[in-house]
Amino acid sequence: MSDREKEDRNVQTGQAAKSLQPAPGLGINAAIGRQLKAYYDDVASEPVPDRFLSLLDALDKAESASKSNNRE
Amino acid sequence: MSKQFDFRQELITIIPNLRAFATSLTGSFDRADDLVQETLVKAWDKQHTFQPGTNMKAWLFTILRNEFYTQMRKKGREVQDVDGIHAMQLAGHPEQQGHLDLQDFRKALELLPDDQREALILIGASGFSYEEAAEICKCAVGTIKSRVSRARTRIAEILGVEGDGDYGPDSISSQIIGVAPAA
Repeated sequence: MSDREKEDRNVQTGQAAKSLQPAPGLGINAAIGRQLKAYYDDVASEPVPDRFLSLLDALDKAESASKSNNRE
Repeated sequence: MSKQFDFRQELITIIPNLRAFATSLTGSFDRADDLVQETLVKAWDKQHTFQPGTNMKAWLFTILRNEFYTQMRKKGREVQDVDGIHAMQLAGHPEQQGHLDLQDFRKALELLPDDQREALILIGASGFSYEEAAEICKCAVGTIKSRVSRARTRIAEILGVEGDGDYGPDSISSQIIGVAPAA
């Protein structure tokens, strides 16, 4: 999409493309801050993959097993 | 018994943050998840060293970061001498001034030195204070501040959007990043 089109869309949709552009008076550092959050949340907003839940279950079981063995 | 259950639950709530931090360190989703897996195993093994009531997120980030750098030292770090060239290619698109595309941003982030990138992520995205970030990175608070500041300057340079002069004082954005604009 060209910048011209982006601008047009901005006008039409108000805040739609706002996150990609520094608002007047905010500057590049604000844009970097927003992109940084977007970059991070791209991963951080995903649900926890099953492999990690299975891993914790396995660690939990291994630990309980070794504990009950020790008691016997 | 219930204490272990809580530990596990706490771990799970922090996994998304660990994955995001690991992605920023490794630059790869697959390697990031391997790193998170190793971190969880390590954390589980040493959960008795964690003091309840202290910051578990910072504790886990420290373990993950240590694990990452231990692996890097073992493997030997690939030298990033493409730095300057890549930066040149990314910069100099005047039509992009004022616009930051997420793909470009990702590339710019990858071009940062490791210490600057992790400082920027910890402060600007993970939500740690300078003191916590300093603890995680085992350096002085002032060092974190200067790394974050240099990281922001460098990203602006790479993306060719050195725009502070055009936008005036940057008070609001510096609140967002959490540091005063570089003098």
